[in-house]
Formats: sequence, structure tokens, C-alpha cells
Amino acid sequence: MEFKSSNTQEVEKEVFLSRILFCSIAILILATIIITRLFFLMVIESDQYKLRSLNNTIRMQSLPASRGLIYDRNKNVLANNQPIFQLEMIPEQVLDVDTSLEQLADLDLIKKNNIDNIKQRIDKNLQFKSIVLRRNLSEREVAVFANNRNNFKGIDIKSRLSRHYPKGEIFSHALGYVGAISGGDYARFDPSFYTGKEQIGKTSIERNYEPYLRGKPGNQKLLVNVKGRIMERIDQHPFLPGNNLILTIDSELQETAYKAMGKQKGAVVILDASNGEILVMLSSPSFDPNKFSFGLTQKEFSTLSKNKNKPLFNRAIAGQYPPGSTIKPMIALGALEMGIIDPDVFMPCEGRFFLPNYSRPFNDWSTHGAVNVVRAIQASCDVYFYKIANEMGIDKMSHFLKQFNLGAPTQVDVDSEKNGVMPNKEWKRNNFTSRENQSWYKGETVIAGIGQGYMLATPLQLALATAIIANKGQAHKPHMLKAIEFTNSGEIQLIESESIDYISSIDDKNWDLIHEGMTAVINERRGTAYGIFPDNSPIAGKTGSSQVFSIDKRSGDEVPEELRDHGLFIGFAPIDKPEIIVSIIVENGGGGRIAAAPVAEKIFTSYLEGSETNNAN
Amino acid sequence: MQTNQFQLKTGNILADRAHIDMPLLSAFFIIFLISGIAIFSASNGNSNFVIDHSINIAISIIAMTIAAQLSPMSYERIAPWLYFLCLMLLIMVLVFGETRNNATRWLNLGITFQPSELMKIAMPLMIARYIATGTLPPTNISIFISLLIVLLPTAMILLQPDLGTSILIAFSGLVIVFLSGIKKRYLFTGLLFFIASLPFIWKNIHPFQQKRVLTFLDPEQDPLGAGYHIIQSKIAIGSGGLFGKGWMNGTQGQLDFLPERTTDFIFSILAEEFGLVGVIVIVIVYLFIVGRGLLIAINSQDLFSRLVASSISLTFFIYVFVNMGMTTGILPVVGVPLPLISKGGTSSVTLMIGLGILMSIRTHKRLISK
Repeated sequence: MEFKSSNTQEVEKEVFLSRILFCSIAILILATIIITRLFFLMVIESDQYKLRSLNNTIRMQSLPASRGLIYDRNKNVLANNQPIFQLEMIPEQVLDVDTSLEQLADLDLIKKNNIDNIKQRIDKNLQFKSIVLRRNLSEREVAVFANNRNNFKGIDIKSRLSRHYPKGEIFSHALGYVGAISGGDYARFDPSFYTGKEQIGKTSIERNYEPYLRGKPGNQKLLVNVKGRIMERIDQHPFLPGNNLILTIDSELQETAYKAMGKQKGAVVILDASNGEILVMLSSPSFDPNKFSFGLTQKEFSTLSKNKNKPLFNRAIAGQYPPGSTIKPMIALGALEMGIIDPDVFMPCEGRFFLPNYSRPFNDWSTHGAVNVVRAIQASCDVYFYKIANEMGIDKMSHFLKQFNLGAPTQVDVDSEKNGVMPNKEWKRNNFTSRENQSWYKGETVIAGIGQGYMLATPLQLALATAIIANKGQAHKPHMLKAIEFTNSGEIQLIESESIDYISSIDDKNWDLIHEGMTAVINERRGTAYGIFPDNSPIAGKTGSSQVFSIDKRSGDEVPEELRDHGLFIGFAPIDKPEIIVSIIVENGGGGRIAAAPVAEKIFTSYLEGSETNNAN
Repeated sequence: MQTNQFQLKTGNILADRAHIDMPLLSAFFIIFLISGIAIFSASNGNSNFVIDHSINIAISIIAMTIAAQLSPMSYERIAPWLYFLCLMLLIMVLVFGETRNNATRWLNLGITFQPSELMKIAMPLMIARYIATGTLPPTNISIFISLLIVLLPTAMILLQPDLGTSILIAFSGLVIVFLSGIKKRYLFTGLLFFIASLPFIWKNIHPFQQKRVLTFLDPEQDPLGAGYHIIQSKIAIGSGGLFGKGWMNGTQGQLDFLPERTTDFIFSILAEEFGLVGVIVIVIVYLFIVGRGLLIAINSQDLFSRLVASSISLTFFIYVFVNMGMTTGILPVVGVPLPLISKGGTSSVTLMIGLGILMSIRTHKRLISK
């Protein structure tokens, strides 16, 4: 090691010191930079980072509201909510989606042929959002999964509330059903009511009173860690349960009607004569609305919607049928009012009616001999009404019948009601394109007299018309909601229906004549429904048959079922102080007497027996 | 020239005999206390982490004490041997090192260790020895050789790849060349040369290192990927505010949003829970250690000790600066721990050995007369 002179050492030290000085200054500058930076982050921009730190860890979770219950008029539960177990997956937490799905299929928890469908849904879904693999697991399936839970990271069983209809298909058309929320639903309703929810009312009551039933979702603030695991609940706003609905439906009567209809296609509507409350709304065949709650597969849905018997179609409000002879009491009333007929004058019926320039006669279903208005209604004489119609003319007839709300919506409180058709000359001009079809023919007026031709009405429209007959011109708008039970206040709001004078200034005598005729239908020999009801029933009614296909004089049995006549029946009871109004259609039943009247008999008998026991009590 | 104004007083005689510098030791204890508090919080209250860490601290203090016993002269003597040994080990790492997380830094010779850590001690000793042997300011040739001594291991460590360590090692060597009184125009030339070679360096570093730099320039580009560390760290620090969220109450740390929070990002935990006030205390303790080290350097009696002591002190500061810089988002994430606070055995031990050498310089009287 060489020695350095003391002088050299001094120079070295001086240089060194100046460089150390430089370094010290550099250190102070760098330290200042760091402190400035910290000041900037922790004081000036601190609020922004505090917010971001909260956003990192605070999750808002929606608490879906429970859907309101639906009761019938006697507080029997028609729709409630049941916990169901469903298999759900959060795709981003699953290590290998394909293998997991295969393994689930091996355990029979999902179907093998459903895997592709699930994968498609996974691709469309947000990866952190839970998707349902399978709804409504049985207890056994829950147990099977629980035993294998460790193999399925990111997949778990969740308990959810699902709509349940204890009476199944009996009330499906009256109540409607719920299903998965679609884009169209979000267009109708504010999506904020549906956060965390999966189901929305799709038809009928469930759809119409959705805003009452859905309730208001709550939410909770959760503290989560980086993996989304919930560490703590910070804040909670509970959901507001949906309001309960009390319907006008009488479930006992509806079940009677359901049994009476049996396997026949058709519809039954029963109204409370005093207030327009719908006691029964039945459409047959029906479907199990619970299946919709669980979520139908595309295939199940298309099987239902393509079924030729149309189980999804609510015939009671949307089925449009020629009213047939059920229109006769109303036309008779019009003729009496217009002075076209005299109730005391008997007119001959030879079984056919001729129009000048028409080569073929208009046939009656029978030869009735001499009939007046009461006998004509009782025996449903076609010729009598051919004559009236011919004399009255279509425009007058149509104008008068429109007062029974025919051809116009009843404004019932459920959707997809059809208007029916009450034709006149103007209607024909507007609804046909070719000039030839646009003009009205006299023959068309004649058959309108027996409710055939272009005239169409829904069972509900016929029920309302019957109510107007029963109450001599006045009736209430038919409706299905009786009361709303507000769950937060416990308060019950009754829904009153509007009373409307559909027809006024009709001579009371004329009403009585019509009622007399309709009573005779049930209770007198040669009445079209005579012998079907017990003797001296306090019932007034009218049968009707509407032709599906023109068949000449062949007995019912030989005709293929789908070509047989529709059978109709309208009626009310008791006669002097009407309580219930019944309107029935049995498709392809072969006529009012043989198909519809027996159904009516069962309903009336059951109702009258019920009211007798009530009175006895 | 007299340097009386910076003269260190003779310390406690007992401490001097044990070759311990009490002010430095006190500062270490403060730092270790902070470290324990931070690691307990960062591990979500896992006392096992703290026990492990305490063992590391104990080992580090023993290593420091041993390092302090050796005289500066013996360090000067062993410097070349140590340096060449480290160089050999680094070559062995490149040939048959152990790879973890895509980086080949470890060598298994009965025990597994990182030779680059050892180089952190060897480098200042070697350069100081080399420079101190020649005349000052150094000649062109000795500057060239010094650069060679620095760049050779730096390049090898860069290849592992370990950007953080290679920066620290390069700095610990180059700062000595600077302190030796190298002419300013050489400094400028070197700086220009460095800037000119940047594109070349850029092309030759690993893609993940490139990504780190790009991410540093704009972390929000890839908030869930490469930018995630920086963003979460800034959120942790910024949300701490003036006084912090309180110990164990930092959501970023406690709820696992902040990655690597017991190691490279422990500073963010401290900032989140103790606020600006807390971190300024930490900065002051660090500055005290650095200042004390520089004071020891100024007061040491020979050139070698001066250079070694100042290199160790300045490198220690660079450690602190780079770590705080990267956690606050003003420097790229290069993987430098917060000295003596971050969990990690080897880095604490080598740091403490370095600081032990500082104590040795402070407490050993050199036999050479002025």
C-alpha cells in the first residue's frame, strides 16, 4: 500500500467533502419531492382517493321485495311465494366451466343436452353476475350437491322466493303468471323496482296489478374484501313487501265451474249481478302457471304455445264467438221497443224463411208453428227472428245491440280483452277491401237476427249483456279486483266499480216479457233448456249454438268434433232479484242445449244450494 | 482544512468497545418497532408473521454486531476476494440458478440464497478499495476499470432479471466514483452516454420490465392488470389523509386490495393507517440514519472508510427513495423493499451488515497516522 502525502490527503478530503455536500443537497431535494408527493396524495387529492377506497370495498346489494299475495273474495290464497332451491353459478369464480358442467351433468343435476344452452348464457352474461343453472331442485338433489360442494368452486345452491299457485291450472287465466323479466318488461316498468329480481307479472292480474304486487326493493351496504367476500353489513334499508290483492273471484264457484267444464274446451264467466264483480273466470283447457314460475325451457313453451287447443289463450276475455241464439232476447227487446212486434200477436213458423231474390231459404233448426215473442225466445224460433231482423234492418239492430256493450270492450281490469264485432253497413265498408264485399246484403241482416254472420262476442261481453238484461238496463263494469291490502299500513282499500245505465227508457213491460221468455227456456216444456235444470228453478237463461261449419241435417255424432257447433248459454238467477250472471261457451260441444246448459245447471245448482245454506244459517 | 463543525464526539465507552453506535442503534429500534406494527397490520393481525419477522430482526442485529467487530482495514483487505467470490456466484446463478416467478436469482448450495444480496456489500467495498489505492482524482484508466467493476455484476443481475437490485448495486459503486472527485465533464459525458444508450437498454430488458415502465407512465391504462398495484397503492396512501384510518383500520390493506403489502408495498399500509403525519415521522427517522451515516463518513480517517461509509449511507437513502417513489407512483415498480420495514430476511440482513460496517468505521481507530 503506497503512502500518500498529507497534502494529497487534504485535497482528497476537500474534494470528497464538496461531493458529500452535493449529495446531501440532492438527498434533501429528493426527500422534499417525496414529501411533496405525499402531501399531494394525502391532503390535496385525499378526498378522491378516500372515495375510491370506499368504492373498492362497499357493495350495494339489492334486497328484492317479496311479491304481494293474491286472495279470492273469501281470503283463500290463490298465489303466494315459496322458497325454492336453485343451482347458481358465478362464471368468473369457476376454474373450469366445461368440466364443472360435465360433472354436474354426471350427478344428474343438469341435463347433458342443456350444457350448450347454459354455455351460451354464460357467454352472454356478465362474468361476475350469478346465473341460474337449474331451478327448483328437489330435496334429494340439494343433498346430492351438498355432498359434492367442494368440487364446485363458484357454484352453489341459493334459496329464492318463487311464485306459487296452490290451485294450479284452475285459476291460471284469471290470475295470469309470472316469468323472467324481458327487455320489453323493462320498457313498461321502471327497472329500479326490479333490482335483484327475476320475476315479473306476464298476464292477467299478475300483469295488470304489477305495480301493486311488486313492492319496493331494499338494499344493503356491504363491506367486501378483494374477492367479494362479505365482511360486514354496514347499512340496511329493508324491502317493502308487495301489496296483497283480494280478488272478486269465488274460488269455490270457480272450482265448480272447472269441474263442470271437465275436459271440454271453452270458457265460463260468472258475474255478481249487483256489482259487476267477476266471480268466475275460467278458460279451458288451461296450463300450470307454476311451471312458468320455475322458468319454462324454450321447448316447453313452444309445446304450450303451439298446442292446437291453445291452453295459453284466455277464451273468457279474448275468445270471440258468434253469439248465436243468445242474442235473441236482446233483439226481441229492440223489436218490442221499436214497435216491430206485438207481444200478443202469434206469427207462424214453417221452418223456413224466404227473402225475395234469394234462391235458398233461411232454415230454422225446427218447425215451431205459431209463436209470439215469449214463445220465440223459449223455443229459440229462428224464423220469428229472421222476420224481425229483416224488418229492423242491420243499422238499427246494430245501434240497439251496441247499448248492451256488444262490439266494445267491457273495460275489465285485465289485459288483452277483445272487442268482438257488432256489424253494420259502415263496419262492412271499413273492414273489407273489395267493393263487392263492402256492400251489405239483406241475407246478412237476416242471419244477424239469430246471432250468426259477422257478429262476434266474447264470453265476458255476453256476461255483461246478460247482466244488463237481468238488471233491466243497468249494470256495473265487470272487474276482478275487490280490494288492495296495503302491507305497510295494513289499510284495505276497496275497489268499487262504476255503475252504468247502459240502456235507459225501456218500457218495464218489455223487460218483463224478455225475462218471461228466458224463464220459459229453463222451466217450460219446449224451452230449449227444459228438463236440464230442476223443475221451477229460479233461473232465466238462453241457449245458443253457433255454427262453425254449415252442415245440413246431420246428427251430431257423425260430425267430426272440430266441426261441431259451439254451445252457448247465458243466464241469471234468481229471476226477480238477480244475484249471479252466467255466461258459458263450450267449443265444438254440439249446441247450447247439449253442451253448455248442463254446465250451467251444475253451476247454478251449486250456487243456489250454497246460498240456501247461507240463508238457512 | 479543519472539519470541526462536523466532529463527532466520542461516544459511550462501553458502546465503543462493543463497536456499536448508539444513535444508529436507537434509530434501528424505532424502525423495527414501526416494522412490527406494520407487518402485524399488513398480515391482517397474523402474529406468526410478526414472530418470523422478529426472528429476522434478531438475526439482522446479530449480523450487524458481527459486521461491526471487523475493522475497516480487514474489510479493505477482503474486498477483492469477496467481490470475485460474488462474481463467481453470480455466474453460477446464470448457469444453474434456481428459477422462481420467472426470475433466476437463487443459488442452492446447501442453503438457498441470492448472491446478488451479497454483492450489495461487496460492491462498495471493492470500488472503495480500488479507488482509494490510486490517486485522486482518479485517472481515466482507473475510471474505466471502476466502471467495469460496477457494470459487470450489474449486467449479470439485470439478466436474472432483477432491475431493483441491479440499480441499487450500480448506484452503490458509481456513487463512490462520483465522490472520488471524478471530473464534472466526465459526469456529463457519462450522463449523455447513459441517455443515448436508453433505447438500447429498452430493447434488451425483459418485456415484463418494459410493461412495468409503461404502466408506471400510465397506470390507469390497465387498472386490473399491470396498473393494479400502483393504483391500489395510491388509493391506500391517498385515502390515509392527514392522520390515517388508524392501526388495523385501513380498508385497502385489511380487505386485501393492496397486493404485496408485507413486502414492497408496506409503505402504503403505513400511509393508509397512520396518515401523512405518520409517514413524515418515518421519513425523518430514515433521514436521521442517512445523515448519521454521512457524518460517520466525513469523520472517518481514511479514504476507504469515507467512501464505503458514504456509499452505504447514500445507497440506503436510494433504497428509501425508490421504494417510496414507486409506492406513490412517481417511479416505476422495480421491486425495491422499504429498508428494514418490509418483510424479507435476506435484504434486512445485508442492509444490517452494511450498517454494521458503518458502525465499524465509526468505532475503530485506524492505526495509520495522518
